[in-house]
Amino acid sequence: MAILLSASALAADPAKVLRVVQPATDEGFDPVRSVNYYSGVILDAVGERLMSYDYLARPAKLVPGVAESMPVVTDNGKTYVFKIRKGVYFHPDPIFKGKKHELTAEDFVFSFKRFMDPKLRSQWKFLFDGKILGLDDLAKRAEQSGRFDYDAPVEGLRALDRYTLQIKLAAADYNFTYILAMSAMIAIPREAVDVYRDDLGAHPIGTGAYMLKEYQRGRRVVLEAHPYFRGFIWDAEPGPDAADRELVASMTGKQMPQIGRIELNYIEEEQSRFLAFMGGELDIVHRIGGLAERWRDGKELKPELTKLGITRQDMVEPETTYTYFNMRDPVVGGYTPEKTALRRAIIMSYDQDAEINIIRKGLAIQNKMPIPPGVVGYNPNYPAILHYNPQAANLLLDKFGYKRGTDGFRTLPDGKPLLIQLASEPSSGSREFDELWRKSLEKIGLRLEVKKGTFAENLKAAKACQLPMWGSAWIADYPDGDNFLQLLYGPNSGQSNNGCYDSPVFNKLYDLSHKLPDSPERNYLYELMSRQVEYDGAWRFGVSRVRTDLVQPGILGYRKHPVLHAEWKFMDIDLSARKAAQGAAK
Amino acid sequence: MTAFILRRLWQMLPTLLGVILLTFFLFNFVGGDPAYLLAGKISSPEQIANIRTQLGIDQPVYVQLWIFIKQVMSADFGVSWSTNEQVSQIIATRIGPSLTVLVPILIIETVLSVALALGVAYVRGSLTDRSIMIVCTIAMSVSLLVYIIVGQYALAYKLGWFPVQGWGESFSENLLRFSALPILLGVAVGIAPNTRLYRTFFLDEINQDYVRTARAKGLSENTVMLKHVLRNALIPIITNLMIYLPGLLIGHFLIERFFSIPGIGREVILAVERSDFPVIKAITIYVAIATMFANLLADVLYKLVDPRVQLK
Repeated sequence: MAILLSASALAADPAKVLRVVQPATDEGFDPVRSVNYYSGVILDAVGERLMSYDYLARPAKLVPGVAESMPVVTDNGKTYVFKIRKGVYFHPDPIFKGKKHELTAEDFVFSFKRFMDPKLRSQWKFLFDGKILGLDDLAKRAEQSGRFDYDAPVEGLRALDRYTLQIKLAAADYNFTYILAMSAMIAIPREAVDVYRDDLGAHPIGTGAYMLKEYQRGRRVVLEAHPYFRGFIWDAEPGPDAADRELVASMTGKQMPQIGRIELNYIEEEQSRFLAFMGGELDIVHRIGGLAERWRDGKELKPELTKLGITRQDMVEPETTYTYFNMRDPVVGGYTPEKTALRRAIIMSYDQDAEINIIRKGLAIQNKMPIPPGVVGYNPNYPAILHYNPQAANLLLDKFGYKRGTDGFRTLPDGKPLLIQLASEPSSGSREFDELWRKSLEKIGLRLEVKKGTFAENLKAAKACQLPMWGSAWIADYPDGDNFLQLLYGPNSGQSNNGCYDSPVFNKLYDLSHKLPDSPERNYLYELMSRQVEYDGAWRFGVSRVRTDLVQPGILGYRKHPVLHAEWKFMDIDLSARKAAQGAAK
Repeated sequence: MTAFILRRLWQMLPTLLGVILLTFFLFNFVGGDPAYLLAGKISSPEQIANIRTQLGIDQPVYVQLWIFIKQVMSADFGVSWSTNEQVSQIIATRIGPSLTVLVPILIIETVLSVALALGVAYVRGSLTDRSIMIVCTIAMSVSLLVYIIVGQYALAYKLGWFPVQGWGESFSENLLRFSALPILLGVAVGIAPNTRLYRTFFLDEINQDYVRTARAKGLSENTVMLKHVLRNALIPIITNLMIYLPGLLIGHFLIERFFSIPGIGREVILAVERSDFPVIKAITIYVAIATMFANLLADVLYKLVDPRVQLK
């Protein structure tokens, strides 16, 4: 999508109020401290990053954000130079004493340094660890002195002039631009940090199209159009989806943003969200899959909803679930043929269709590789080798000496008892998966013990490579396969590689992939890595959930983006259509 | 009376110390390590060590315990580990909505169930008594969740008598508009078991000799029931009520969740999910203190209701 800058006045209409909902509370809006998705939604709306995404292109495509253009990359992918747009202003705030505050390159230098300040304990720190020349040294000095020196120059992070930012990396990283497009990578003014300090999370001052007007954590967020926002003309190329053409026709040429006010309420319970939507209190309701029987008739939207003009949007989330095996576990771990056979048999026993159709109500698709759909490196035609096949799994176990005892359960090849341990949480959702695992494993004569622990307990044990098996999920931080494959990279054991999988072949392929930009050659390496994971039986690949949003009539321009969290600045409201629909509903 | 209250207040100190010790050791040894949650999805051992240092959970146990005692004494539990918001601010902003719903539930439910129990106790064994007891038994057997789901769907969405969910800015709007259905459902759930319970209290009193004497003296049935029976049955009723009081401080998670009431119940659950110990510890201590004061209040009320009670 090409976003054309417009010199015309702000078009946002205060009468156009969008009413949206989130199912869980945010954690405040300090970009360094806030990692949950719902904080990211607001950060997306109030802030701007150097890079952003085309609104309609699928798979997600990077475009300049607050940068004038794509960065100039030199030094074999190690030096990035960004030219920042002129005339971009932060939201008006008392800290600026009535003056307009223009965004500069120094704001990004300051904002990026904050991620490494030990006192802020940023969960995003890993994105910068070891990447920018000199930044780690500054963080180390802060750990020793107890004070992070924001004024100290950093070789790899410099404002060359008011509008030019130079970033020098320690090594080439072709995904760095993706990182700079993440919600947390917005620029915030140093004055805001100095004034609001620990309360910065309640004062997200950015340059985005919307600014925070009201914030009651866990209850309500109100945003209003940023009066100094430069605006843009809606001009997009439709994606492959036929509905895109209608959307493009309704929006092309409009001065944006159109919506003047956004009221976001937190409604945790799905029934409450659905009823509030059906009662006309909400314009869009997200992720409504759990109540599929209320809005779905077969695979289609119920006729009574269609009659009301309600539309449905499905999107496969850029995420994957997986069950990992701890490769250091004495029972399921190890790389010997019989251990690999045991893991493969377990993978082949798991009834994935039952999970999708029964537990997930058909709103998920099976993943055949660690990289999910919508993410660079995903190949829909990847020929997986491990499929659901309990019969073959039984034969495999027979072949490698896992004999059945008189009770029908198998023993280890040396005759010792065989007990498969699965970590789980004490919740009703986890219980459904536990039962599916139990039934699946019993079909191949394996006895399962489910070990319950809180998420915190399981996470701690996982980081120490102490959980034999655990189900997990990963949502793309950025839409590149690398973000998923790093979960299997040996040196990441104890950090993100909770299965402590350490295959020399995989590690070598992973290292090689880091030396390549997005290309067919790199995608081929990704497939080889996927194959190695299958070969070793390190993961049972899970599913990507299908997200369903319901949209009221009169809401224009909405298309859920797989990576962007908030689409509001691309949307419009046809007030008369909405009023007519509300009248019809009554 | 004053001496009794002072003595009881003094006795609260060792109880509070016991609660502090129990809370501290439970959370430290059973609650898991919050550093792993706070470190995020990709974290190094160094990062986790840094977080542990910042939170002070790498300090010797006696140092951590002393910090906790100081926090309790100063009523300053610091900031939430997950949101950085002051714990006192979290509690202060969430307790109001919870009380807006729960106090009316407690009052209405108590008044109605006492009145109903007194009525059915008076006609014990009659068709009315038996019918009401059957209804109460059925009502008690239905889960609160069912009441909420059906009530929200039928009364709010289908009939439109109440808002489906929400919370406003003014107390009156919240109490009369947004809390009306949650209060109705809360009362509907609580009235059945309380009616059964209070009925037994009244039956115990109705069969006492003093009731027979009162009737023999020619007192009217209203006087017998309302002046003598009710007053004597109030002591177990007060005991029952005082058990509920501290619960007001932890809100009602289900009601708050379904009706989007920004109360303390949701905050407690969030804090547990996030291992946000400062919030959990603060609420635990406040509930413990509230329980002690409720017990004291119960004793004082016993004396007011029945002058024969001796406060020692």
